[in-house]
Amino acid sequence: MELEEEIIQIADLGCGDTKLLKLLKIYPCIQLLVGVDINEEKLHSNGHHLSPYLGEFVKPRDLDLTIILYHGSVVERDSRLLGFDLITCIELIEHLDSDDLARFPEVVFGYLSPAMVVISTPNSEFNPLFPTVALRDADHKFEWSRMEFQTWASQVAKCYNYCVEFTGVGTPPAGAEHVGYCTQIGVFTKIGGKAAGSCVSEDHDQHVYKAVYMTSYPSLQQEKVLKFVLVGELLIQVEHLRLRHHRMLRERKRESDPKPRDTDFSLGPDLLLGAVFTEAEKARIENSPEPFCEGDKFCVPLQRLLAYPKLHRLRVDEERMRALIADSVCLSSDSSAVMVDLYNSLDYWPEDS
Amino acid sequence: MSGRARTRARGMLRGSRALEVRGSPGYLAATSVDLGNSEVSLSSRTDSVWQPSDEHDAASGDGEHTLMERRVRIRQDLMDLGICTRERLAHVKDCKTGSSGLPVKLVTNLFSLDLPQDWQLYQYHVVYSPDLPSKRLRTALLYGHSELSDRTKAFDGAILFLSQKLDQKVTELTSETQRGETVRMTVTLTNKLVSSSPVCIQFFNIIFKKILKKLSMYQIGRNFYKPSEPVEIPQYKLSVWPGFAVSVSHFESKLLFGADVSYKVLRNETVLEFMTDLCVRTDTSCFPQTCETQLVGLIVLTRYNNKTYRIDDIDWSVKPTHTFQKRDGSEITYTDYYKQQYDITLSDLNQPVLVSLLKRKRNASMEPQAVHLIPELCFLTGLTSQATSDFHLMKAVAEETRLSPLGRQQRLARLADDIQRNQVARFELETWGLHFGSQMSLTGRVVPSEKLIMQDHICQPASAADWSKDIRACKVLSSQSLTTWLILCSSRAENRIEGFLSCLRRVGSTMGFNVGYPKIIKVQENPASFLRAIQQHVDPDVQLVMCILPSNQKNYYDSIKKYLNLDCPVPSQCVLTRTLNKQGMMMSVATKIAMQMTCKLGGELWTVEIPLKSLMVVGISICKDALSKDTLVVGFVASVNPRITRWFSRCILQRTTAEVADCLKVFLTGALNKWYKLNHDLPARIIVYRDGVGDGQLKAVVDYEVPQLLSSVAESSSDSSSCRLSVVVVRKRCTPRFFVETSKTVQNPPLGTVVDSEATRPAWYDFYLISQTTSQGTVSPTYYNVIYDDNVLKPDHMQRLTFKLCHLYYNWQGLISIPAPCQYAHKLTFLVAQSIHKEPSLELANHLFYL
Repeated sequence: MELEEEIIQIADLGCGDTKLLKLLKIYPCIQLLVGVDINEEKLHSNGHHLSPYLGEFVKPRDLDLTIILYHGSVVERDSRLLGFDLITCIELIEHLDSDDLARFPEVVFGYLSPAMVVISTPNSEFNPLFPTVALRDADHKFEWSRMEFQTWASQVAKCYNYCVEFTGVGTPPAGAEHVGYCTQIGVFTKIGGKAAGSCVSEDHDQHVYKAVYMTSYPSLQQEKVLKFVLVGELLIQVEHLRLRHHRMLRERKRESDPKPRDTDFSLGPDLLLGAVFTEAEKARIENSPEPFCEGDKFCVPLQRLLAYPKLHRLRVDEERMRALIADSVCLSSDSSAVMVDLYNSLDYWPEDS
Repeated sequence: MSGRARTRARGMLRGSRALEVRGSPGYLAATSVDLGNSEVSLSSRTDSVWQPSDEHDAASGDGEHTLMERRVRIRQDLMDLGICTRERLAHVKDCKTGSSGLPVKLVTNLFSLDLPQDWQLYQYHVVYSPDLPSKRLRTALLYGHSELSDRTKAFDGAILFLSQKLDQKVTELTSETQRGETVRMTVTLTNKLVSSSPVCIQFFNIIFKKILKKLSMYQIGRNFYKPSEPVEIPQYKLSVWPGFAVSVSHFESKLLFGADVSYKVLRNETVLEFMTDLCVRTDTSCFPQTCETQLVGLIVLTRYNNKTYRIDDIDWSVKPTHTFQKRDGSEITYTDYYKQQYDITLSDLNQPVLVSLLKRKRNASMEPQAVHLIPELCFLTGLTSQATSDFHLMKAVAEETRLSPLGRQQRLARLADDIQRNQVARFELETWGLHFGSQMSLTGRVVPSEKLIMQDHICQPASAADWSKDIRACKVLSSQSLTTWLILCSSRAENRIEGFLSCLRRVGSTMGFNVGYPKIIKVQENPASFLRAIQQHVDPDVQLVMCILPSNQKNYYDSIKKYLNLDCPVPSQCVLTRTLNKQGMMMSVATKIAMQMTCKLGGELWTVEIPLKSLMVVGISICKDALSKDTLVVGFVASVNPRITRWFSRCILQRTTAEVADCLKVFLTGALNKWYKLNHDLPARIIVYRDGVGDGQLKAVVDYEVPQLLSSVAESSSDSSSCRLSVVVVRKRCTPRFFVETSKTVQNPPLGTVVDSEATRPAWYDFYLISQTTSQGTVSPTYYNVIYDDNVLKPDHMQRLTFKLCHLYYNWQGLISIPAPCQYAHKLTFLVAQSIHKEPSLELANHLFYL
């Protein structure tokens, strides 16, 4: 499944052990992930698997992400799921009895009306390939053939103004191609795209689901986090430039040293580390004011820092940057550059002897 | 990593076993430098002029055992609790509490965990027929059975815990899989556990692990941290995550939950960024090697999961564009793998990979499994040894992490509140019949303060924390005149020498330490010149060599100490030029240096009243050698006169994996011989304080070290005289903290506070003693466990004697946190482990040369 850039809110109905949500949460464009299931205990025991990784506090996401798990039935209406970009129902409908199945399209397509719906269900034509001939799970109320599913899906699509395409996963073994995929999938796309806010406002605040778990990810949209990342990247860059300056001084000293040296200072090709800049990045860096020394201080202009990709991508202008870093780093007298000691206590290395 | 180990690691990667980049569930034991519960001590009390680094035992963070084994494996610190040493000590069987001193009411960081009186945990073993390999399926079938569905249960795939007993001892259950297969499950009762049993304690700890995760905390090593509330130290590119070290344990009379504030240091840079900077710093030729020395052993955190890994090697031959075999057998490049699996784009395709060897949880004998990690996706945790030796950095960290007693108490209250209020947490506790109760208070005692005995004066210090002012005008007990000595300094420091010398002579004369005029030798500013000058000028008549060092680069100190402790044994004193530049501090600097020099020449500074007339006290400390991690340094320091002012020391390097000393018999016999030579008799009593006993090692100390000491005592004793032995295990790290609650605030307890009830253990003869102060922050009590005791001293006397011994460390004019012999032994092992890496010359054994 290709995720389009603008998709930002996704709900998984019948999320069970939240496996799909775990797969989805890595995508940077998603900002709200909701899981709904009828089994509250499962949600309780799986909730904390969805919390941010430790590393995501050190290198946070660009955009906010909130993950919420609701306890409730997919045939109940909850306004908090209105206006989503995608609703997935993976192996869900075959667990619904006939009453619920009848109400399901009205809730998902009619009421929630997301831009896209993905529904998967077993393909019963595939079942004879299994050793035991029965329903795949004791709780399955039915398993449909491709014809049955497609008929149902097309009807639903027509009724709620969606178009539907069919696909599947689990290709049958050689010789049994005629049975089709193990699991059949219907991808429904709303004709006319995502609904405008109109239908959302009509019945607001219909909260029938119980929120069982909620987590928010640190992201650059949060001022505190942005500041942390900005100061962090800035200091790493300044330190890197400072060390490069030291090296330059050392090499200059060596060149003026009449004694011939046999040490070779060019790096082997497999030891060159660090990201390689593109031509555009190089040009941007070269066009910015250079670092300079003032007595025993080493100064890097803010404009220069903002030219480096890792800071450039934070999309902060010089003014904002100054405000954010003011109480964390030392600035030059005209506040145009970051100022650090040219030499610090960590510059002594055991091998310096 | 040794060449062989590396080959092994690489060989394995090429082997048929699929390389599993994501690792297996569970976390790796983090052996990081954890600036945990102990305050980062930065006081200038150690070698007042040269400070290597604060001691930071590579925490034995081996806490990963779970109940996932067929047989429940017990965590190491819980194993210690099974060593019942008290039952063999008849004199403390009924009562181990002291009596002297004023009672003081103390609040603790312990919370009661209440259980119904008849509470039991039922342990069952479950066998499946046919056998099912999948733990998930096993769990689903068992949990789905009507017999168990409504019960409170915990199951790991084989062992089932229930809070209520099943009707039968053996219960046969049948369930059907989704495919309609019938599976028979035989559930057999194997154990009824009372709440104090080790398995139960471990079980409670797992429950709290679950609860803390529910409170948005993350486990790293053994502790839990809140990364969402970081403290930033931008100038050093560090973040500090606040958290807690928690444990449930059975104390004197009941089950208690203990929590202490802990911090995790994180570096805000990736390993790749670290390597890139290192590359710019160092000469290319030695870059890979430098990289390995700096990085191997550090713990990293990855971007894409919650695991920590130890860096065991760097493989320069593997690049992100290379392929590896996935579990399903297909080949994929690292770049593609991270893109597909985590939507991460690697920016540097030339970086090497880090190699981490995963311990096999289930089968320790199996070869460890190697995983490859991409430097760009790894963050460094903890501090490098280089960073920990940076005074300014450590000070910045300490400032951010230091908590006043009040601040600490507030954090604790918040944690307790979070646990009590969180619905899921409360449910988890209630379902097992546990009730999280109130913070425990107890009564301690403040033992009387001690008087200092000087040469012609007995002085009652205004504060036992620092008596430097009280004894300023007093003469030390004894000292040797310093007539023949050298000062080595660079020309830059030369102009400071005269001023310093006159101060030194002035303070010397008030102390009764006669300082003659030295020979001053000018040297160039490099370690080799210092060493050459020493080799040239030191002859047998030289009593002491003083070196004025231009910087605290380790190689100056190391090369000087190596030569003067091994090749040419002469006491030495290193002073930083910077120290001599401190205007206005010169008198106090000179006083400290004069005292150190007095001790190094064999002088005695002060003592306290010791009621036992023929007592030898011994300190033993063990640490790992800084150069080779499989070498242990064992330091042994024993008093050789009744006043406890003169010391004999031995130190040995021992190649072993177990942290147990081998050579104690020889050491103690040496000390007894020395005592006999000086006092013409053997000491009537010997009390040994053993420091540096890690979790799970208590049994080895009881079974292996005590007999060595006893056999030395037995062989040295004759019919006419024999000595009696006691052995006390000293621990600076322990769970409990104590506070004094006043009407307005919470404070540290006064010096000399003893706690010997409630927070102690029923199976041990143990007590806590507070013998140190801190101007900011919270004091941690020192924990004493008397594991062997022929001396049959009353507990009160044992406690007070221990307190007295905390007054006798000559490098600090005040009380210290552990008995002086332990601190001396610690200084000795530190010098050997960090700088000289060999047994010091025996000619120095009667001097405090290691101060």
